[in-house]
Amino acid sequence: MRQSFRNRIFVTVLVAILLPLLLCGALMMRLLIVRSEESLAREAEEQLTALSEAVQDLREDCGAVVGELMDSTVLRSALRRGGGDSRTLYQVLSRAVRPLEGSVRLDVYDREGVRRYTTSELSGGALDVDWGILRAAGEAEDIIFRTAEDGGLAAAQAVRNYSGTVLGYVVAVAELEHFEELFSGLYTAASEVLLLDRRWRPVYYSRPAQAGQTAEALRQQLLEEGALRSGEGAYRFFARRCAGFVLVLQQPRAFTPLVMGAIYLTGALMGSLCLVLALFSAWTLSRYLAKPVHQLDEAMGEVERGRLDVRLETDRSDELGRLASRFNHMTEEYRTNLDRSVQRERELNEARLRMMQAQLNPHFLYNTLDAVKWLGMAHQAPEVAELATDLAAILRSSISGDEIVTLEEELELVERYVNIQTIRFGDRFTCEVDVAERYQSCLVPKLALQPLVENAILHGVADREDGYVKVWAGEEEGMLLLYVSDNGCGIPREVLERLNGEPQPLPGGHLGLFNVDSILRLRYGESCGLSAWSAPGEGSCVRLKMPLKRKEKAYAEGPDR
Amino acid sequence: MRRLMAGLVCLLLLTGCGGERGAEWSAFAPGEAERLVIYTSHPQSLYEPIVREFEERTGVWVQVRTGGTAELLDQLEAEKEQPVCDLLFGGGTDSLTARRELFEPYISPQAERLDPALYCEDGSWSAFSVTPVVLIYNPVLVRMNRPTGWKSLLDPVWRGRIAFASPFVSGGSYTALATMKQVLPEEDVLEAFYRNLDGRVLSEIGAVVDEVADAVADGSCTVGVTLEAAALEAAEAGKDVALLYPEEGTGAVVDGMAIVAGCAHEENARRFVDFALGADVQRRLLERCWRGPVRGELIREETDIVVLDYDLDCAAAERDAILRQWRELETAW
Repeated sequence: MRQSFRNRIFVTVLVAILLPLLLCGALMMRLLIVRSEESLAREAEEQLTALSEAVQDLREDCGAVVGELMDSTVLRSALRRGGGDSRTLYQVLSRAVRPLEGSVRLDVYDREGVRRYTTSELSGGALDVDWGILRAAGEAEDIIFRTAEDGGLAAAQAVRNYSGTVLGYVVAVAELEHFEELFSGLYTAASEVLLLDRRWRPVYYSRPAQAGQTAEALRQQLLEEGALRSGEGAYRFFARRCAGFVLVLQQPRAFTPLVMGAIYLTGALMGSLCLVLALFSAWTLSRYLAKPVHQLDEAMGEVERGRLDVRLETDRSDELGRLASRFNHMTEEYRTNLDRSVQRERELNEARLRMMQAQLNPHFLYNTLDAVKWLGMAHQAPEVAELATDLAAILRSSISGDEIVTLEEELELVERYVNIQTIRFGDRFTCEVDVAERYQSCLVPKLALQPLVENAILHGVADREDGYVKVWAGEEEGMLLLYVSDNGCGIPREVLERLNGEPQPLPGGHLGLFNVDSILRLRYGESCGLSAWSAPGEGSCVRLKMPLKRKEKAYAEGPDR
Repeated sequence: MRRLMAGLVCLLLLTGCGGERGAEWSAFAPGEAERLVIYTSHPQSLYEPIVREFEERTGVWVQVRTGGTAELLDQLEAEKEQPVCDLLFGGGTDSLTARRELFEPYISPQAERLDPALYCEDGSWSAFSVTPVVLIYNPVLVRMNRPTGWKSLLDPVWRGRIAFASPFVSGGSYTALATMKQVLPEEDVLEAFYRNLDGRVLSEIGAVVDEVADAVADGSCTVGVTLEAAALEAAEAGKDVALLYPEEGTGAVVDGMAIVAGCAHEENARRFVDFALGADVQRRLLERCWRGPVRGELIREETDIVVLDYDLDCAAAERDAILRQWRELETAW
């Protein structure tokens, strides 16, 4: 996740809302389930205690009945004789089972396994004496308890004569129906009870039809897994040993997978509702807190990029609102300061320009030169008069207030200067001005070209016999280009570098070039100015670059001017 | 923060684990010395009383798994490295002989009381019961022209109406095929018989024996080949099944039992073999299960049944040949 202020607020708020809620919910749910299962388990144990007491009682009752008959001489003599006084014996039998109110059936088998007497309605029947319960009874000295052949619990004992020979067998059977009665009310109706023998074969199941199947399944589980699977499914099992048997209580789970599913579904739904609410509130809060900060951040970025007219709109009156209005105030102040300093810089530049021009503007020189001109004519010295006239023209143009002149006027100035220098140097150089008619009306700063020509003559061709200076013009992408070239000794390398590099005044020599360069740059911007090419001994070429502007009126008046 | 989270998770886990506290089950389950695992192909009505009585007498807990003989043998083969089963109870002795490498030789002290013809000299199995193969028919549907013997099964009259379990599943069916091959003079008995089945072979693994009787009783077939025990049991249960001992004589399935080699409870398995060969069980077989016992003193002197001299060693050798031919017939059908 992006490490932004807003994301942090969002996550923190989300966690702070959601985590306690979900934990609390899960904990409560878990606690509820655990508590309920514990109480159910306790209930089951109590029921098992009651059930095992019932089984114990039943066993004791059966034992008592059988034990009572063992002492009966009537029974023994009946068995010995085979047949005999059955009426007396039936009285004995019915007296023996009377305390149990008909819940226990008494069978008497002879030594062949044939049932001779019984308290049930059915008569007849036989059991193998070398198989099952009779065999076990015959081998045991005492009474034995086990599953009856047709279900239920049986207590059996062999009847012996005094020398120990088996005369027959007495079997007391608590039938399945009796168990229902015995167990009823001792366990909750939804539970099931299973009475198993010690090897987990069924004796009784509260759902008799499924006794075999259920007992077999449980036995299988016990043998294969060492425990009953009470972990899953709809039931839990509780078991207890009692009197040589095992009681298993099958208790329905309060929280069956179905119920658990419903609980988890509800939990999940509530959880997602909470999630949605938490997401919404976290989003809103983080937005409310982070939005002004974000706006301020953006505005700062804008200011950094130079846009000083950025304003933060806010109607908040808290700390963030005050922060925004202070930001607005600060940028406003900053902008005013900046404007003021730009204005001051411009004024400074203009003052410097005027100062430079003032250097070339001595009024009285003009008047003096006028006098010299007239003196030269009066004394028949025409060169003197010409010199004075040209110098006066140069000075006049210097005095005039216009800072911008047409190229034509500037070229005239150059021509007068060249005249003066021709008189001074004689025929040692020639100067050619080759500017097309269409550039004559272009506007240039006054005295922009003259210092260049002066430079070419003084530093370029002064020491030569065949000096040559050429002035021409060109245009490129809306810029006017003026060239001054000579075939003199060239410009020294350090001057050339200064000219083409940083424009700053150089102490001594070529001051004119730097002045012109400064004027152009200050007036038209850094893209304009002066550049120079030169090779030692092969002369030099200086180029002026400025915007191409024409004097409208002069152009309209036509080329004949 | 992290520590707090860990604490909460622990709490959650603790409450989650507190729930399950059932009975101490290990107190109920028997120890290894008191266990026995039996695989059996016998029906429940046969094995259950025997197993129960064994449990009562010895205190051993017996775990039973049922299935067809072939299926159980395959299962034993698959578990050869780590045997689950201790004793294979049931299954034709010819099948047991064919897979004798799976078993641990054991000669019971009871063996000397057995019929010498049913004695395995290397002890890899012990015979348990002898059951003749018989023909059955539905006496309601077949009133005239009743079948008389093996030859009748080749009669086109019964074409497609013979209930016959696959010999790959039922030992009785295999024995019937072997017997037919032995007693009938025709060249290609198996092929003729297979054609007469008209593609109807009951191949459900499990209670195939009951299935044949049921198919005859409900009229979907009219004659069938099954074991005497199954036929008698069906007749006893009141089904419309009549029993017929083939006039040519018949073979018998000798069911055996064998201790699995390398089993976990060999001592208990031996006790079970001794018990099953004992007089009590064998008498019960005869009296209550319609099966022939193997103890010499109990064998019936049958006059009306011609029991073939059924050579076990020879049959085991021939088994592959017969089954291969049967498979070919099935594929060709």
